Amino acid sequence: MYEPPVQRVIDELARLPGIGRKTAQRLAFHLLHVEAGDAVRLGQSIIDLRDQVRLCVRCFNVTAEEQCAICRDPRRDPTLVCVVERAQDIAVIERTQEFEGRYHVLGGSISPIEGIGPDQLRMKELVARVGNESITEVIAATNPTVEGDTTALYLARLLKPLGVTVSRLASGLPVGGDLDYADEITLGRALAGRREL
Amino acid sequence: MHLSWLDLRDFRSYEALAFEPSPGINVLVGPNGAGKTTVLEAVAYLSGLSSFRRTPDASLIRTGADGAVLRGGFQKEAGETRIEVELPAAGRRRVLVNGKRPGRLADVAAIAPVVAFLPDDLDLVKESAGIRRRYVDDLGSQLAPGYAAAVAEYEQTLRQRNALLRRDGPATDLMSLEVWDERLIAAAVALWNERVRLTLRLGPTLDAAHAAVAGPGELLAVVLSPAWGSDDERREDGEWNPERAARALRDALSARRRRELEQRTTTVGPHRDDIGLVLGRRDVRAQASQGEQRSVAVAMRVASYRLLRERHGHPPVLLLDDVFSELDLARTAAVVEMLPEGQVLVTTTREDEVPVGGRRWAVGDGKVE
Ligand SMILES: [Zn+2]
Repeated sequence: MYEPPVQRVIDELARLPGIGRKTAQRLAFHLLHVEAGDAVRLGQSIIDLRDQVRLCVRCFNVTAEEQCAICRDPRRDPTLVCVVERAQDIAVIERTQEFEGRYHVLGGSISPIEGIGPDQLRMKELVARVGNESITEVIAATNPTVEGDTTALYLARLLKPLGVTVSRLASGLPVGGDLDYADEITLGRALAGRREL
Repeated sequence: MHLSWLDLRDFRSYEALAFEPSPGINVLVGPNGAGKTTVLEAVAYLSGLSSFRRTPDASLIRTGADGAVLRGGFQKEAGETRIEVELPAAGRRRVLVNGKRPGRLADVAAIAPVVAFLPDDLDLVKESAGIRRRYVDDLGSQLAPGYAAAVAEYEQTLRQRNALLRRDGPATDLMSLEVWDERLIAAAVALWNERVRLTLRLGPTLDAAHAAVAGPGELLAVVLSPAWGSDDERREDGEWNPERAARALRDALSARRRRELEQRTTTVGPHRDDIGLVLGRRDVRAQASQGEQRSVAVAMRVASYRLLRERHGHPPVLLLDDVFSELDLARTAAVVEMLPEGQVLVTTTREDEVPVGGRRWAVGDGKVE
């Protein structure tokens, strides 16, 4: 145990994903020795993150406004929606510069083992969007995993009766991984070669 | 290919072990409980990422230690491949190949294949179908990464579908279940494709290996069949047909829907396949003598060895765990006949039982010298 102010930082850092006790200790002592301004900026940016960032009311991307920059952009094709598991997947697809529609962030994928069913994801919100917007095609860009695939199949069952085409990224993505394992070129090709479910 | 070094930390009884076997035959001599089998188990773990004694990872960690580490170098023509596994007492297993996390764990089994002859190999023939499914799937995974990926995908899909049924039982949301059915059918057909392709190759190799072990005689055949239906449903004009297989499984799932909702588990699919062995016209499990069964079991290991040697262009590492005390002369000769080519690790309690030369190692007190 360290003095309480040090130990508190270690404990908080160690709760972050991918950071073990040892790394947390190293970071805490690093912070102890950086210039005061740097530490304050880090602290303030974390506070701002929670204060100023919220979820886009339309697509659940992270944004500082009511709607995210993509939803506000009039050049984006409103008939095309790309469904992703997490907000950070949007950046991965944007990097390919192959996609001109909007997004919808589900918040995960169907996984009964973890107790996640359709009701724990933003499926109802997507159905509502299909009813209210001029959407004609939904691209399921969930991860190339058993759970991501099943979520895509579920989306197809859910949305097809509403007259929407549901397509899936073409194969060629590394199976079993996250979207961000794929490089831009592979992902771009997978988008262009998507097939109807 | 051969194992040039093995490094163990807190693995079973070993606090620390450094072992550098020779590229040829290595005979590990020591009393029962000295830790001979553990060395072989560690080598097989690095190769296939699971214990051949089917011990869960947590039980492989030395009592009181906070985790086990297994590391080994496999020397090939192109250079050394280093495989490292960390098994922490708390947290996730870490696997590194040449210092990097492999893209897919399924790819690891084909990197450094080993074949192990174990004292209880007779179970391969005598036990229920599960052990033969594992034999076939393990062999397939060592032959090709695609096979291992098909196994992993089917198992994960099955776990998810079972979790859904277990949680909600008769109240399960039918649309969710139907979607898992579709996913299960796709994964099942992919795995069946692999199993059918493998058995086509395994059949003749197994028969030839059996003739070498038991002498020429009746034909030995491998027969894949679903325990829940007829194999004919998966074939068209006698040929394996993926579309028909998908339809057969879809029909079986819907016919059993109500029962599965009540039993809260998946009762049909590749995890319920039977893999039978037929000698002449007799089922080896039910109708062969103990001696015939022993020959078939040895032939199964010899067949693995031959298929892996053919596929990889070099012999796999051969592990013989205390098998010479179990085998008679003729079968021993058949095993010995394939020894000189590659690396062999043999364990024995009595050195004079081992009918081959090679480097001798004394095992005991946590050391191999
Ligand atoms: Zn938005």
